[in-house]
Amino acid sequence: MAESDEAGAKPNRWHTPYLLLLPGLAALIFFFILPLFSIAKLSLKGGGLSNYPKVLTDNWDVIVRTFEFSGLATLGAILIGYPLAYFIAMRGGRYKNLLLAMVVLPFFVTYLVRTLAWKILLYDGGPAVSILHGLHLLPQDQALLGTDFAVVFALLYNFLPFMVLPIYVSLEKLDRRLLEAASDLYASPQRAFRKVTLRLSLPGIFAGTLLTFIPASGDFINAELLGSDKQVMIGNIIEKNFGKEFFRPELSALSFMLMGLILVGVLVYAKVLGTEDLA
Amino acid sequence: MTEPIDPRLLSQLADARTSRRRFMSRGAVLLGGLALSPAVLAACGSSKKTTDAGGTTATTAAGGVTLESLRGTTMTMFNWPLYIEGDDPTTSPTIKGFTDSTGIKVSYTSNIDGNDSFYTKYQPDLAAGNGIGADLIVLTSWEAANMIQQGYIETWDAGLFPNIKNVLSDQANPEWDPDRKHSIPWAIGQTGIAYWPSKVGGKLDSVNALFDPKFKGKVTILDEMRDSVGLTMLGMGNDPTTGGLDQELAAVDKIKTARDGGQFRKITGNAYTEDLQLGDTWVAMAWSGDIASLKADNPDLADSIEFYIPNEGGMNFVDNAMIPNGAKNPGGASAFMNYVYDPKVAGPLYEAINYVPPVIGAVDFMTADGKDSPFVNPSADSKFYEFRILPPAEDEELNRAFTEATQQ
Repeated sequence: MAESDEAGAKPNRWHTPYLLLLPGLAALIFFFILPLFSIAKLSLKGGGLSNYPKVLTDNWDVIVRTFEFSGLATLGAILIGYPLAYFIAMRGGRYKNLLLAMVVLPFFVTYLVRTLAWKILLYDGGPAVSILHGLHLLPQDQALLGTDFAVVFALLYNFLPFMVLPIYVSLEKLDRRLLEAASDLYASPQRAFRKVTLRLSLPGIFAGTLLTFIPASGDFINAELLGSDKQVMIGNIIEKNFGKEFFRPELSALSFMLMGLILVGVLVYAKVLGTEDLA
Repeated sequence: MTEPIDPRLLSQLADARTSRRRFMSRGAVLLGGLALSPAVLAACGSSKKTTDAGGTTATTAAGGVTLESLRGTTMTMFNWPLYIEGDDPTTSPTIKGFTDSTGIKVSYTSNIDGNDSFYTKYQPDLAAGNGIGADLIVLTSWEAANMIQQGYIETWDAGLFPNIKNVLSDQANPEWDPDRKHSIPWAIGQTGIAYWPSKVGGKLDSVNALFDPKFKGKVTILDEMRDSVGLTMLGMGNDPTTGGLDQELAAVDKIKTARDGGQFRKITGNAYTEDLQLGDTWVAMAWSGDIASLKADNPDLADSIEFYIPNEGGMNFVDNAMIPNGAKNPGGASAFMNYVYDPKVAGPLYEAINYVPPVIGAVDFMTADGKDSPFVNPSADSKFYEFRILPPAEDEELNRAFTEATQQ
């Protein structure tokens, strides 16, 4: 955790921060803790604790697929987003704001419409398929919609700004003198990038990964609109079946499983990346 | 594969979610309906006459509530989208005609988008008898049956609803609501098959087109268990109204096998129309109302996509109007349904919303277009089946099997 740096704060009015905390705390209790508690309670109805292993085995393929899709989308977002953020931060010059606006602007359009737009671009008789067929990059009987590719691609597209922006911020505030120092010490540009730029932008990558991976894992719109019944994700299972009363305990358990698995994943990731020391 | 995309198609698709569910092109029909509707004229004329077509205007009720005493009250109705002319209660001739003839105002909202979600939302208030702010709600038969059984539904005020006698005879006495004491059909929809004759290379007429290997990967079926299982059963020579769990599970197996073999492009709800419209789907299990809207909104596609009721039979879904307990104006609700069940009113209403009228004689009051429309006036040769009402345990078992077969 970051140290507080309020050097000149007076010891009186000690309660002010706590009072300021109240609205946030109340929101947290009402909008997070209580719903979570009620879902936990619901998840134990019917089969009790056995709901948990049951949903895990029943939906194993779907769970694996969900994390595969959201993982690939996140990885893709890093590979595309990092160079983009790097370019804007380091070489953007006076176009910086314009470039950032271009990253964000498409997202002023509703999520649903943006995703539907991809459907029009990717459909069997659409431009993407014709071009790829023409260039023989895609077998003639192969479509794009209803494939893993379409869903992962759309997830990547829909969450890309959430990767670009945090990385941009971490690169933007990077002290350029450190790079000069590295080159003064005879580091090659590649080495300076690896040892300085990349290291110092890790918190940005970490934040971007969380903002991309977590919502992508719970997403159902991309799989619903661009996928087929072979691309069902956990979100689709919950969305389609929650209306049926008898499914609810299991689906609540499934939601908890999803949360738990994401939490474990994030902790492992933080450990591997070593961001705890950096943040 | 390199045909250029029609820009109109693009713009329609971009707002397909809303435009398909609203009507722009329906305006003309509406205006026509308003101008022609004898119901409106008749309704404006008098409120104390028996009409020759079998419509009866209610005057008194057993409980002492008279139509006159309801003048100035408001009746609130929750309904599904597209179930009133133009989806717009402010211009609906039916609502206007009712208010003009009875003095009862109607507050109408298209806010029901699913039986399950409706039940989830209102069940606690219904169980507590608090009322849900509506005097009239509309739900599909299996959910209606459930709610009646739970005791959430009031009976009609028989004195205010004499036209109940006009209900189609096969809908007059369902097992789950003898003599229609609690419910009455609002609309009857059909589940059949829509397809592109040009892409499948000819005319189709069987349910089993859905399973034809020639169309592998070009077929969509619905994620509504009753529709997909019901039609599949018909293709297997079974009757979804009387068939038992074994036949139903056999149909689920057939769907699973086909799905594993890559037969289906998608198993989905409303989203099927987009793929159909783009031509990616050649053969789609489809709801009549959707295809009627799709054709009306896209005149250029109207000749490319055909809808048929399979020769083995189609599925019917019936959405039923009911008075929820705790209703503030049950008399107004009964009077409103009485008004709708006048064939002179029902004819133009159902022609405008493109659903089969549940009212005897309504077709006589339609225009020639309405009488010709397969969505409103299906051919007498078409056979229809309604899925049986499942006991709770079988409902769960079948739903689980279907979910596993179609999603996991």
